Amino acid sequence: MIEATLQLSKPDFKLDVSFSVPGRGVTAVFGPSGCGKTTLLRAIAGLETETTGSLSVNGQQWLGASGRRAVEQRRVGVVFQVPSLFPHLTVQENLLYGRKRLTKVTKPIETNELIASLEIEKLLLRYPKGLSGGEKQRVALGRALLAEPKLLLMDEPLSALDQDSRGKLMSLLERFLQEIDIPVFYVTHSSEEVARLADNLVLLANGRVTDHGPIQDVVGAVDGELSRSDTAFSVIEGQIAATQLPDLISVDCGAGIVLQLPDAASLSGITYQPGSGVRLRIRARDVSLCLEQPHRSSILNILPAVIAELAAQPYNGSRVVKLELAGKQLLCKISEYSVQHLELRVGQSVFAQIKSVSLI
Amino acid sequence: MLSQPDFAALLITLRLAATTTLILLLLGTPLAWWLATTRSRLRSAIEAVIALPLVLPPTVLGFYLLLAFSPDGPIGATTAALGLPSMAFSFWGLVLGSAIYSLPFVVQPLQNSFASLGRMQLEVAATLGARPLDRFVSVALPLSKMGYLTAAVLGFAHTLGEFGVVLMIGGNIPGETQVLSIAIYDHVEALEYNQAHWLAAGLLLCSFLVLLMIYSANRRFHLMKTT
Repeated sequence: MIEATLQLSKPDFKLDVSFSVPGRGVTAVFGPSGCGKTTLLRAIAGLETETTGSLSVNGQQWLGASGRRAVEQRRVGVVFQVPSLFPHLTVQENLLYGRKRLTKVTKPIETNELIASLEIEKLLLRYPKGLSGGEKQRVALGRALLAEPKLLLMDEPLSALDQDSRGKLMSLLERFLQEIDIPVFYVTHSSEEVARLADNLVLLANGRVTDHGPIQDVVGAVDGELSRSDTAFSVIEGQIAATQLPDLISVDCGAGIVLQLPDAASLSGITYQPGSGVRLRIRARDVSLCLEQPHRSSILNILPAVIAELAAQPYNGSRVVKLELAGKQLLCKISEYSVQHLELRVGQSVFAQIKSVSLI
Repeated sequence: MLSQPDFAALLITLRLAATTTLILLLLGTPLAWWLATTRSRLRSAIEAVIALPLVLPPTVLGFYLLLAFSPDGPIGATTAALGLPSMAFSFWGLVLGSAIYSLPFVVQPLQNSFASLGRMQLEVAATLGARPLDRFVSVALPLSKMGYLTAAVLGFAHTLGEFGVVLMIGGNIPGETQVLSIAIYDHVEALEYNQAHWLAAGLLLCSFLVLLMIYSANRRFHLMKTT
Protein backbone atom coordinates (compact mmCIF):
# COMPACT_ATOMS: atom_id res chain seq x y z
CA MET A 1 0.00 0.00 0.00
CA ILE A 2 1.00 3.57 -0.57
CA GLU A 3 -0.73 5.80 1.94
CA ALA A 4 -0.32 9.53 1.75
CA THR A 5 -1.68 12.45 3.73
CA LEU A 6 0.33 15.44 2.63
CA GLN A 7 0.08 19.17 3.13
CA LEU A 8 2.26 21.80 1.59
CA SER A 9 1.78 25.56 1.50
CA LYS A 10 3.42 27.67 -1.14
CA PRO A 11 2.92 31.40 -1.56
CA ASP A 12 0.46 30.95 -4.43
CA PHE A 13 -0.63 27.37 -3.97
CA LYS A 14 -1.78 24.91 -1.37
CA LEU A 15 -1.54 21.14 -1.62
CA ASP A 16 -3.72 19.17 0.77
CA VAL A 17 -4.21 15.57 -0.24
CA SER A 18 -5.06 12.25 1.28
CA PHE A 19 -5.30 8.95 -0.56
CA SER A 20 -4.18 5.37 -0.56
CA VAL A 21 -3.48 3.20 -3.57
CA PRO A 22 -2.20 -0.36 -3.95
CA GLY A 23 1.56 -0.77 -3.64
CA ARG A 24 1.90 -2.11 -7.15
CA GLY A 25 0.85 -1.23 -10.66
CA VAL A 26 0.60 2.16 -12.31
CA THR A 27 -1.21 4.95 -10.52
CA ALA A 28 -2.01 7.86 -12.78
CA VAL A 29 -2.17 11.29 -11.15
CA PHE A 30 -4.55 13.08 -13.44
CA GLY A 31 -5.83 16.64 -13.56
CA PRO A 32 -5.65 19.92 -15.45
CA SER A 33 -2.45 21.97 -15.58
CA GLY A 34 -1.77 23.86 -12.41
CA CYS A 35 -3.75 21.49 -10.18
CA GLY A 36 -0.63 20.46 -8.24
CA LYS A 37 0.30 17.17 -9.92
CA THR A 38 3.97 17.96 -10.14
CA THR A 39 4.03 19.38 -6.62
CA LEU A 40 2.43 16.18 -5.33
CA LEU A 41 5.05 14.11 -7.10
CA ARG A 42 7.85 16.27 -5.70
CA ALA A 43 6.39 15.97 -2.21
CA ILE A 44 6.31 12.18 -2.53
CA ALA A 45 9.91 12.17 -3.77
CA GLY A 46 10.93 14.29 -0.78
CA LEU A 47 12.04 17.22 -2.91
CA GLU A 48 9.61 19.59 -1.17
CA THR A 49 11.19 19.72 2.25
CA GLU A 50 8.37 21.71 3.83
CA THR A 51 5.80 18.98 3.26
CA THR A 52 3.98 17.87 6.40
CA GLY A 53 1.74 14.90 7.06
CA SER A 54 2.52 11.25 6.58
CA LEU A 55 3.62 9.01 3.77
CA SER A 56 4.28 5.32 3.80
CA VAL A 57 5.31 3.23 0.84
CA ASN A 58 4.88 -0.53 1.15
CA GLY A 59 5.51 -0.46 4.88
CA GLN A 60 8.33 2.08 4.86
CA GLN A 61 7.62 5.33 6.65
CA TRP A 62 8.95 8.17 4.47
CA LEU A 63 7.27 10.96 6.36
CA GLY A 64 5.49 10.95 9.67
CA ALA A 65 5.89 11.09 13.40
CA SER A 66 9.37 9.61 13.19
CA GLY A 67 10.48 12.44 10.95
CA ARG A 68 11.30 12.93 7.33
CA ARG A 69 13.44 10.58 5.35
CA ALA A 70 15.91 12.43 3.11
CA VAL A 71 15.44 12.17 -0.65
CA GLU A 72 18.63 10.17 -1.10
CA GLN A 73 17.42 7.59 1.40
CA ARG A 74 13.96 7.08 -0.08
CA ARG A 75 15.16 5.17 -3.12
CA VAL A 76 12.70 6.81 -5.42
CA GLY A 77 13.26 6.89 -9.16
CA VAL A 78 12.15 10.07 -10.90
CA VAL A 79 11.72 10.76 -14.59
CA PHE A 80 11.15 14.48 -14.98
CA GLN A 81 9.10 16.25 -17.62
CA VAL A 82 12.15 17.75 -19.28
CA PRO A 83 15.06 15.40 -19.87
CA SER A 84 17.44 15.68 -16.95
CA LEU A 85 20.51 13.66 -17.87
CA PHE A 86 23.83 14.81 -16.47
CA PRO A 87 25.43 16.62 -19.43
CA HIS A 88 28.99 15.90 -18.31
CA LEU A 89 28.52 12.14 -18.21
CA THR A 90 28.11 9.65 -21.03
CA VAL A 91 24.90 7.69 -21.38
CA GLN A 92 26.53 4.72 -19.70
CA GLU A 93 27.84 6.82 -16.79
CA ASN A 94 24.39 8.37 -16.46
CA LEU A 95 22.79 4.93 -16.35
CA LEU A 96 25.11 3.73 -13.62
CA TYR A 97 25.10 6.90 -11.49
CA GLY A 98 22.49 5.65 -9.05
CA ARG A 99 23.41 1.98 -9.28
CA LYS A 100 27.00 2.74 -8.21
CA ARG A 101 25.63 4.35 -5.07
CA LEU A 102 23.55 1.38 -3.96
CA THR A 103 24.93 -0.05 -0.76
CA LYS A 104 24.04 -3.47 -2.01
CA VAL A 105 22.43 -4.67 -5.16
CA THR A 106 19.44 -6.57 -3.87
CA LYS A 107 17.58 -7.25 -7.07
CA PRO A 108 20.01 -8.28 -9.74
CA ILE A 109 18.33 -6.39 -12.55
CA GLU A 110 20.05 -7.53 -15.68
CA THR A 111 21.65 -4.28 -16.73
CA ASN A 112 22.19 -5.42 -20.29
CA GLU A 113 18.68 -6.73 -20.58
CA LEU A 114 17.23 -3.45 -19.38
CA ILE A 115 19.43 -1.49 -21.76
CA ALA A 116 18.29 -3.71 -24.60
CA SER A 117 14.62 -3.45 -23.79
CA LEU A 118 14.89 0.34 -23.62
CA GLU A 119 16.62 0.23 -27.02
CA ILE A 120 19.53 2.39 -25.89
CA GLU A 121 22.44 -0.01 -26.38
CA LYS A 122 23.81 2.00 -29.30
CA LEU A 123 23.94 5.21 -27.26
CA LEU A 124 26.07 4.09 -24.35
CA LEU A 125 29.25 5.96 -25.23
CA ARG A 126 27.57 9.15 -26.36
CA TYR A 127 26.93 12.30 -24.35
CA PRO A 128 23.33 13.45 -23.75
CA LYS A 129 23.83 16.56 -25.90
CA GLY A 130 23.25 14.82 -29.23
CA LEU A 131 20.39 12.55 -28.19
CA SER A 132 16.77 13.05 -29.25
CA GLY A 133 14.13 13.82 -26.64
CA GLY A 134 12.80 10.28 -26.73
CA GLU A 135 16.26 8.79 -26.32
CA LYS A 136 16.97 11.05 -23.36
CA GLN A 137 13.78 9.99 -21.62
CA ARG A 138 14.53 6.32 -22.19
CA VAL A 139 17.99 6.77 -20.70
CA ALA A 140 16.49 8.70 -17.76
CA LEU A 141 14.05 5.85 -17.18
CA GLY A 142 16.86 3.29 -17.33
CA ARG A 143 18.95 5.35 -14.94
CA ALA A 144 16.09 5.52 -12.44
CA LEU A 145 15.35 1.78 -12.68
CA LEU A 146 18.96 0.66 -12.35
CA ALA A 147 19.07 2.37 -8.96
CA GLU A 148 16.46 -0.19 -7.88
CA PRO A 149 13.81 2.26 -6.69
CA LYS A 150 11.03 1.35 -4.29
CA LEU A 151 8.75 3.69 -6.20
CA LEU A 152 9.02 5.13 -9.68
CA LEU A 153 7.70 8.65 -10.27
CA MET A 154 7.13 9.92 -13.79
CA ASP A 155 6.18 13.53 -14.39
CA GLU A 156 4.57 13.83 -17.82
CA PRO A 157 7.53 12.08 -19.40
CA LEU A 158 6.02 12.33 -22.88
CA SER A 159 4.98 15.95 -22.89
CA ALA A 160 8.28 17.39 -24.14
CA LEU A 161 8.41 14.99 -27.08
CA ASP A 162 7.18 15.34 -30.64
CA GLN A 163 4.20 13.28 -31.80
CA ASP A 164 6.30 10.52 -33.32
CA SER A 165 8.63 9.79 -30.45
CA ARG A 166 5.73 10.20 -28.06
CA GLY A 167 3.88 7.35 -29.76
CA LYS A 168 6.97 5.17 -29.69
CA LEU A 169 7.84 5.79 -26.06
CA MET A 170 4.20 5.29 -25.15
CA SER A 171 4.07 1.77 -26.58
CA LEU A 172 7.37 1.02 -24.90
CA LEU A 173 6.04 2.26 -21.55
CA GLU A 174 2.88 0.26 -21.98
CA ARG A 175 4.82 -2.99 -22.24
CA PHE A 176 7.43 -1.96 -19.74
CA LEU A 177 5.51 -0.55 -16.81
CA GLN A 178 3.37 -3.68 -16.60
CA GLU A 179 6.44 -5.90 -16.46
CA ILE A 180 8.46 -4.17 -13.76
CA ASP A 181 7.55 -5.04 -10.24
CA ILE A 182 7.78 -1.51 -8.90
CA PRO A 183 4.83 0.75 -8.12
CA VAL A 184 4.66 3.69 -10.50
CA PHE A 185 3.12 7.15 -10.09
CA TYR A 186 2.51 8.64 -13.48
CA VAL A 187 1.54 12.29 -13.71
CA THR A 188 -0.35 13.30 -16.82
CA HIS A 189 -3.09 15.50 -18.15
CA SER A 190 -3.79 13.22 -21.10
CA SER A 191 -6.77 10.91 -20.78
CA GLU A 192 -5.25 8.72 -23.46
CA GLU A 193 -2.18 8.08 -21.33
CA VAL A 194 -4.41 7.33 -18.35
CA ALA A 195 -6.50 4.89 -20.34
CA ARG A 196 -3.47 3.14 -21.77
CA LEU A 197 -1.22 2.92 -18.75
CA ALA A 198 -3.07 3.25 -15.51
CA ASP A 199 -4.37 0.64 -13.10
CA ASN A 200 -5.30 3.19 -10.46
CA LEU A 201 -6.24 6.79 -10.69
CA VAL A 202 -5.80 9.77 -8.39
CA LEU A 203 -7.78 12.76 -9.59
CA LEU A 204 -6.43 16.12 -8.56
CA ALA A 205 -8.01 19.57 -8.76
CA ASN A 206 -6.77 22.76 -7.08
CA GLY A 207 -4.35 20.88 -4.88
CA ARG A 208 -6.95 18.44 -3.57
CA VAL A 209 -7.79 14.86 -4.40
CA THR A 210 -11.30 14.72 -5.82
CA ASP A 211 -11.39 10.97 -6.38
CA HIS A 212 -9.07 7.99 -6.23
CA GLY A 213 -9.26 4.24 -6.70
CA PRO A 214 -9.04 1.55 -9.36
CA ILE A 215 -9.32 3.09 -12.80
CA GLN A 216 -12.64 1.48 -13.74
CA ASP A 217 -14.25 2.72 -10.52
CA VAL A 218 -13.03 6.28 -10.87
CA VAL A 219 -13.69 6.49 -14.57
CA GLY A 220 -17.11 4.86 -14.24
CA ALA A 221 -18.48 6.91 -11.35
CA VAL A 222 -21.39 8.81 -12.87
CA ASP A 223 -21.26 11.51 -10.23
CA GLY A 224 -17.48 11.63 -10.10
CA GLU A 225 -15.35 14.61 -10.98
CA LEU A 226 -14.02 12.91 -14.07
CA SER A 227 -17.48 12.18 -15.45
CA ARG A 228 -18.48 15.79 -15.04
CA SER A 229 -15.46 17.01 -16.94
CA ASP A 230 -15.15 17.16 -20.68
CA THR A 231 -12.69 14.32 -20.65
CA ALA A 232 -15.14 11.71 -19.30
CA PHE A 233 -14.48 8.41 -20.99
CA SER A 234 -14.82 4.65 -20.67
CA VAL A 235 -12.23 1.98 -21.23
CA ILE A 236 -13.34 -1.31 -22.75
CA GLU A 237 -11.07 -4.25 -23.23
CA GLY A 238 -11.36 -6.70 -26.10
CA GLN A 239 -9.47 -8.63 -28.71
CA ILE A 240 -8.95 -8.14 -32.40
CA ALA A 241 -11.70 -10.23 -34.01
CA ALA A 242 -10.90 -13.15 -36.28
CA THR A 243 -13.07 -11.90 -39.11
CA GLN A 244 -12.58 -8.37 -40.35
CA LEU A 245 -14.68 -6.17 -42.62
CA PRO A 246 -12.98 -4.19 -45.37
CA ASP A 247 -11.41 -0.89 -44.17
CA LEU A 248 -12.45 -1.60 -40.59
CA ILE A 249 -10.91 -3.07 -37.52
CA SER A 250 -13.29 -5.25 -35.56
CA VAL A 251 -12.76 -5.69 -31.86
CA ASP A 252 -14.51 -8.51 -30.10
CA CYS A 253 -15.46 -7.37 -26.60
CA GLY A 254 -17.08 -10.65 -25.60
CA ALA A 255 -20.73 -11.70 -25.27
CA GLY A 256 -21.39 -11.01 -28.91
CA ILE A 257 -20.37 -7.37 -28.75
CA VAL A 258 -18.15 -6.35 -31.64
CA LEU A 259 -17.03 -2.76 -32.03
CA GLN A 260 -15.90 -1.45 -35.39
CA LEU A 261 -13.48 1.33 -36.04
CA PRO A 262 -11.92 2.69 -39.21
CA ASP A 263 -8.69 0.93 -40.08
CA ALA A 264 -5.99 3.57 -39.92
CA ALA A 265 -3.30 0.93 -40.32
CA SER A 266 -2.14 2.45 -43.58
CA LEU A 267 -1.36 5.59 -41.59
CA SER A 268 0.18 4.15 -38.47
CA GLY A 269 1.88 1.21 -40.15
CA ILE A 270 0.69 -1.09 -37.40
CA THR A 271 -0.99 -4.36 -38.25
CA TYR A 272 -3.08 -6.07 -35.65
CA GLN A 273 -3.00 -9.81 -35.15
CA PRO A 274 -6.34 -11.49 -34.61
CA GLY A 275 -6.70 -12.51 -30.98
CA SER A 276 -4.35 -9.86 -29.56
CA GLY A 277 -5.74 -7.96 -26.60
CA VAL A 278 -6.50 -4.25 -27.02
CA ARG A 279 -8.02 -1.44 -24.99
CA LEU A 280 -10.59 0.91 -26.45
CA ARG A 281 -11.31 4.37 -25.17
CA ILE A 282 -14.74 5.80 -25.79
CA ARG A 283 -15.48 9.37 -24.84
CA ALA A 284 -18.76 9.87 -23.01
CA ARG A 285 -19.69 12.75 -25.30
CA ASP A 286 -19.32 10.49 -28.36
CA VAL A 287 -22.09 8.19 -27.17
CA SER A 288 -25.76 9.01 -27.73
CA LEU A 289 -28.95 7.10 -26.99
CA CYS A 290 -31.94 6.01 -29.09
CA LEU A 291 -35.06 4.29 -27.84
CA GLU A 292 -35.49 2.46 -31.14
CA GLN A 293 -32.82 0.93 -33.30
CA PRO A 294 -31.83 3.42 -35.99
CA HIS A 295 -31.40 2.08 -39.51
CA ARG A 296 -29.17 3.14 -42.34
CA SER A 297 -26.91 5.26 -40.16
CA SER A 298 -23.31 6.25 -40.86
CA ILE A 299 -22.52 5.46 -37.25
CA LEU A 300 -20.69 2.14 -37.17
CA ASN A 301 -21.49 1.02 -33.69
CA ILE A 302 -25.09 0.85 -32.59
CA LEU A 303 -25.55 -1.60 -29.77
CA PRO A 304 -28.39 -2.63 -27.48
CA ALA A 305 -27.76 -1.60 -23.89
CA VAL A 306 -29.48 -1.18 -20.56
CA ILE A 307 -29.35 1.96 -18.46
CA ALA A 308 -27.51 0.98 -15.30
CA GLU A 309 -27.26 4.31 -13.54
CA LEU A 310 -28.11 7.95 -14.00
CA ALA A 311 -26.13 10.74 -12.44
CA ALA A 312 -28.06 12.13 -9.48
CA GLN A 313 -27.86 15.67 -10.80
CA PRO A 314 -27.46 17.25 -14.19
CA TYR A 315 -24.24 19.23 -14.50
CA ASN A 316 -23.97 22.16 -16.91
CA GLY A 317 -27.13 21.03 -18.67
CA SER A 318 -25.93 17.49 -19.31
CA ARG A 319 -26.29 14.30 -17.45
CA VAL A 320 -23.97 11.31 -17.35
CA VAL A 321 -25.63 7.94 -17.92
CA LYS A 322 -23.98 4.62 -17.29
CA LEU A 323 -24.96 1.87 -19.69
CA GLU A 324 -24.41 -1.82 -19.44
CA LEU A 325 -23.70 -3.80 -22.56
CA ALA A 326 -23.14 -7.48 -21.92
CA GLY A 327 -21.30 -6.93 -18.68
CA LYS A 328 -19.28 -3.96 -19.94
CA GLN A 329 -19.86 -0.47 -18.67
CA LEU A 330 -20.06 2.51 -20.92
CA LEU A 331 -20.58 6.13 -19.96
CA CYS A 332 -22.51 8.50 -22.12
CA LYS A 333 -23.18 12.15 -21.67
CA ILE A 334 -26.43 13.53 -23.02
CA SER A 335 -28.38 16.70 -22.52
CA GLU A 336 -30.68 16.97 -19.57
CA TYR A 337 -33.42 17.92 -22.02
CA SER A 338 -33.09 14.50 -23.71
CA VAL A 339 -33.13 12.70 -20.39
CA GLN A 340 -36.46 14.34 -19.58
CA HIS A 341 -37.84 14.17 -23.09
CA LEU A 342 -37.08 10.46 -23.57
CA GLU A 343 -38.06 9.74 -19.96
CA LEU A 344 -34.92 7.75 -19.37
CA ARG A 345 -34.78 5.64 -16.24
CA VAL A 346 -32.66 2.89 -14.75
CA GLY A 347 -33.34 -0.54 -16.20
CA GLN A 348 -34.62 0.80 -19.51
CA SER A 349 -33.44 -0.84 -22.74
CA VAL A 350 -31.94 1.56 -25.24
CA PHE A 351 -29.60 1.61 -28.20
CA ALA A 352 -26.21 3.21 -27.74
CA GLN A 353 -24.82 4.96 -30.79
CA ILE A 354 -21.10 5.25 -30.51
CA LYS A 355 -19.80 7.91 -32.82
CA SER A 356 -16.15 7.23 -32.35
CA VAL A 357 -13.98 4.60 -30.74
CA SER A 358 -10.27 4.87 -30.38
CA LEU A 359 -7.88 2.04 -30.16
CA ILE A 360 -5.29 2.83 -27.52
CA MET B 1 66.26 43.57 -19.11
CA LEU B 2 65.16 42.71 -15.56
CA SER B 3 67.44 43.69 -12.71
CA GLN B 4 67.81 41.44 -9.67
CA PRO B 5 65.27 43.36 -7.51
CA ASP B 6 62.81 43.49 -10.43
CA PHE B 7 63.10 39.77 -10.84
CA ALA B 8 62.49 39.28 -7.13
CA ALA B 9 59.43 41.53 -7.38
CA LEU B 10 58.13 39.40 -10.25
CA LEU B 11 58.55 36.20 -8.23
CA ILE B 12 56.86 37.66 -5.17
CA THR B 13 53.99 38.92 -7.30
CA LEU B 14 53.43 35.51 -8.90
CA ARG B 15 53.70 33.75 -5.55
CA LEU B 16 51.31 36.20 -3.95
CA ALA B 17 48.79 35.86 -6.78
CA ALA B 18 48.98 32.07 -6.80
CA THR B 19 48.65 31.74 -3.02
CA THR B 20 45.81 34.21 -2.86
CA THR B 21 43.93 32.53 -5.71
CA LEU B 22 44.27 29.10 -4.16
CA ILE B 23 43.04 30.30 -0.77
CA LEU B 24 40.17 32.19 -2.36
CA LEU B 25 39.05 29.18 -4.40
CA LEU B 26 39.00 27.05 -1.26
CA LEU B 27 37.17 29.58 0.89
CA GLY B 28 35.11 31.01 -1.94
CA THR B 29 33.53 27.65 -2.83
CA PRO B 30 31.43 27.17 0.32
CA LEU B 31 30.71 30.90 0.50
CA ALA B 32 29.56 31.09 -3.13
CA TRP B 33 27.55 27.88 -2.71
CA TRP B 34 25.81 29.30 0.31
CA LEU B 35 25.04 32.54 -1.52
CA ALA B 36 23.73 30.67 -4.57
CA THR B 37 21.44 28.39 -2.62
CA THR B 38 20.34 30.17 0.54
CA ARG B 39 17.04 31.89 1.06
CA SER B 40 18.38 33.65 4.17
CA ARG B 41 17.76 37.36 4.58
CA LEU B 42 21.41 37.77 5.45
CA ARG B 43 22.33 37.05 1.87
CA SER B 44 22.05 40.61 0.58
CA ALA B 45 24.14 41.96 3.43
CA ILE B 46 26.88 39.38 2.87
CA GLU B 47 26.82 40.01 -0.88
CA ALA B 48 27.25 43.73 -0.25
CA VAL B 49 30.21 43.13 2.07
CA ILE B 50 31.87 40.87 -0.47
CA ALA B 51 31.37 43.44 -3.22
CA LEU B 52 32.83 46.31 -1.13
CA PRO B 53 36.37 45.96 -2.53
CA LEU B 54 34.91 46.67 -5.99
CA VAL B 55 33.99 50.20 -4.98
CA LEU B 56 36.23 51.14 -2.06
CA PRO B 57 39.55 52.82 -2.74
CA PRO B 58 42.19 50.17 -1.98
CA THR B 59 43.83 52.63 0.42
CA VAL B 60 40.74 52.54 2.64
CA LEU B 61 40.95 48.77 2.88
CA GLY B 62 44.71 48.95 3.42
CA PHE B 63 44.30 51.57 6.13
CA TYR B 64 41.89 49.47 8.18
CA LEU B 65 43.99 46.36 7.69
CA LEU B 66 47.04 48.24 8.92
CA LEU B 67 45.12 49.28 12.02
CA ALA B 68 44.03 45.68 12.56
CA PHE B 69 47.61 44.46 12.19
CA SER B 70 48.95 46.91 14.79
CA PRO B 71 49.79 45.40 18.20
CA ASP B 72 46.51 46.83 19.62
CA GLY B 73 44.41 45.75 16.63
CA PRO B 74 42.40 42.49 16.67
CA ILE B 75 44.67 40.67 14.22
CA GLY B 76 47.91 42.05 15.69
CA ALA B 77 46.83 41.11 19.22
CA THR B 78 45.93 37.58 18.11
CA THR B 79 49.20 36.95 16.28
CA ALA B 80 51.12 38.36 19.25
CA ALA B 81 49.22 36.11 21.67
CA LEU B 82 50.01 33.10 19.49
CA GLY B 83 53.64 34.10 19.38
CA LEU B 84 53.54 34.70 15.63
CA PRO B 85 55.33 37.55 13.88
CA SER B 86 53.31 40.63 13.00
CA MET B 87 51.36 40.52 9.73
CA ALA B 88 52.23 44.11 8.87
CA PHE B 89 54.96 44.43 6.25
CA SER B 90 55.04 40.67 5.73
CA PHE B 91 54.19 38.37 2.84
CA TRP B 92 51.28 36.73 4.72
CA GLY B 93 49.91 40.17 5.50
CA LEU B 94 49.89 40.79 1.77
CA VAL B 95 48.12 37.47 1.20
CA LEU B 96 45.37 38.42 3.65
CA GLY B 97 44.99 41.89 2.14
CA SER B 98 44.91 40.49 -1.40
CA ALA B 99 42.42 37.81 -0.45
CA ILE B 100 39.99 40.44 0.83
CA TYR B 101 40.71 42.73 -2.10
CA SER B 102 40.15 40.00 -4.75
CA LEU B 103 37.32 38.21 -2.95
CA PRO B 104 34.49 39.45 -5.22
CA PHE B 105 36.43 38.47 -8.32
CA VAL B 106 36.43 34.85 -7.18
CA VAL B 107 33.13 34.58 -5.32
CA GLN B 108 30.92 36.22 -7.93
CA PRO B 109 31.82 33.96 -10.89
CA LEU B 110 31.48 30.91 -8.67
CA GLN B 111 28.15 32.10 -7.33
CA ASN B 112 26.82 32.78 -10.84
CA SER B 113 28.02 29.43 -11.99
CA PHE B 114 26.37 27.58 -9.10
CA ALA B 115 23.15 29.56 -9.52
CA SER B 116 22.94 28.73 -13.22
CA LEU B 117 23.15 25.01 -12.50
CA GLY B 118 19.52 25.06 -11.51
CA ARG B 119 18.22 22.68 -8.94
CA MET B 120 17.09 19.88 -11.22
CA GLN B 121 20.45 18.20 -11.80
CA LEU B 122 21.10 18.15 -8.07
CA GLU B 123 17.61 16.87 -7.31
CA VAL B 124 18.07 14.06 -9.79
CA ALA B 125 21.37 13.17 -8.13
CA ALA B 126 19.61 13.12 -4.75
CA THR B 127 16.88 10.78 -5.99
CA LEU B 128 19.63 8.51 -7.26
CA GLY B 129 21.03 8.20 -3.77
CA ALA B 130 23.79 10.83 -3.75
CA ARG B 131 24.32 12.63 -0.44
CA PRO B 132 24.87 16.41 -0.38
CA LEU B 133 28.68 16.39 -0.58
CA ASP B 134 28.59 13.63 -3.19
CA ARG B 135 26.10 15.69 -5.23
CA PHE B 136 28.41 18.67 -5.08
CA VAL B 137 31.50 16.74 -6.12
CA SER B 138 29.90 14.54 -8.78
CA VAL B 139 27.49 17.03 -10.33
CA ALA B 140 27.94 20.66 -9.30
CA LEU B 141 31.73 20.76 -9.51
CA PRO B 142 32.17 19.29 -13.00
CA LEU B 143 29.33 21.43 -14.32
CA SER B 144 30.97 24.57 -12.87
CA LYS B 145 34.31 24.17 -14.62
CA MET B 146 33.94 27.44 -16.49
CA GLY B 147 33.03 29.26 -13.30
CA TYR B 148 36.18 27.97 -11.63
CA LEU B 149 38.36 28.90 -14.58
CA THR B 150 36.91 32.41 -14.64
CA ALA B 151 37.21 32.79 -10.88
CA ALA B 152 40.81 31.58 -10.84
CA VAL B 153 41.89 33.77 -13.73
CA LEU B 154 40.16 36.89 -12.46
CA GLY B 155 41.39 36.37 -8.92
CA PHE B 156 44.95 35.82 -10.14
CA ALA B 157 44.97 38.71 -12.59
CA HIS B 158 43.38 41.11 -10.14
CA THR B 159 45.95 40.27 -7.47
CA LEU B 160 48.74 40.82 -10.00
CA GLY B 161 47.66 44.40 -10.49
CA GLU B 162 47.14 45.30 -6.86
CA PHE B 163 48.79 48.49 -5.67
CA GLY B 164 47.02 50.48 -3.00
CA VAL B 165 46.45 47.76 -0.43
CA VAL B 166 49.99 46.46 -0.81
CA LEU B 167 51.46 49.89 -0.42
CA MET B 168 49.53 50.47 2.79
CA ILE B 169 50.18 47.18 4.52
CA GLY B 170 53.24 45.73 2.82
CA GLY B 171 55.37 48.73 2.36
CA ASN B 172 58.04 48.38 -0.21
CA ILE B 173 60.65 45.98 1.05
CA PRO B 174 62.60 44.64 -1.95
CA GLY B 175 62.77 40.86 -1.95
CA GLU B 176 60.07 40.59 0.69
CA THR B 177 57.01 42.66 0.01
CA GLN B 178 57.89 44.63 -3.10
CA VAL B 179 55.51 43.57 -5.88
CA LEU B 180 55.57 44.48 -9.59
CA SER B 181 53.13 47.36 -9.49
CA ILE B 182 55.16 49.04 -6.77
CA ALA B 183 58.43 48.33 -8.54
CA ILE B 184 57.00 50.09 -11.61
CA TYR B 185 56.00 53.06 -9.48
CA ASP B 186 59.54 53.22 -8.03
CA HIS B 187 61.12 53.15 -11.46
CA VAL B 188 58.90 55.96 -12.66
CA GLU B 189 59.67 58.01 -9.54
CA ALA B 190 63.36 57.49 -10.27
CA LEU B 191 62.80 58.39 -13.96
CA GLU B 192 63.95 54.90 -15.01
CA TYR B 193 61.37 54.73 -17.79
CA ASN B 194 63.12 51.96 -19.66
CA GLN B 195 62.88 49.52 -16.73
CA ALA B 196 59.35 50.67 -15.97
CA HIS B 197 58.46 49.83 -19.60
CA TRP B 198 59.72 46.28 -19.31
CA LEU B 199 57.60 45.58 -16.28
CA ALA B 200 54.56 47.56 -17.39
CA ALA B 201 54.44 46.08 -20.89
CA GLY B 202 55.02 42.63 -19.47
CA LEU B 203 52.11 43.02 -17.08
CA LEU B 204 49.90 44.42 -19.83
CA LEU B 205 50.63 41.53 -22.17
CA CYS B 206 50.25 38.97 -19.44
CA SER B 207 46.86 40.34 -18.36
CA PHE B 208 45.65 40.46 -21.95
CA LEU B 209 46.66 36.84 -22.60
CA VAL B 210 45.00 35.65 -19.44
CA LEU B 211 41.74 37.39 -20.29
CA LEU B 212 41.90 36.17 -23.88
CA MET B 213 42.18 32.68 -22.51
CA ILE B 214 38.97 32.89 -20.48
CA TYR B 215 36.96 34.57 -23.19
CA SER B 216 37.95 32.02 -25.80
CA ALA B 217 37.36 29.15 -23.39
CA ASN B 218 34.01 30.66 -22.54
CA ARG B 219 33.09 30.89 -26.19
CA ARG B 220 34.06 27.30 -26.85
CA PHE B 221 32.07 26.25 -23.81
CA HIS B 222 28.96 28.06 -25.00
CA LEU B 223 29.31 26.63 -28.49
CA MET B 224 29.57 23.19 -26.95
CA LYS B 225 26.44 23.75 -24.94
CA THR B 226 24.32 25.00 -27.81
CA THR B 227 25.24 22.45 -30.47
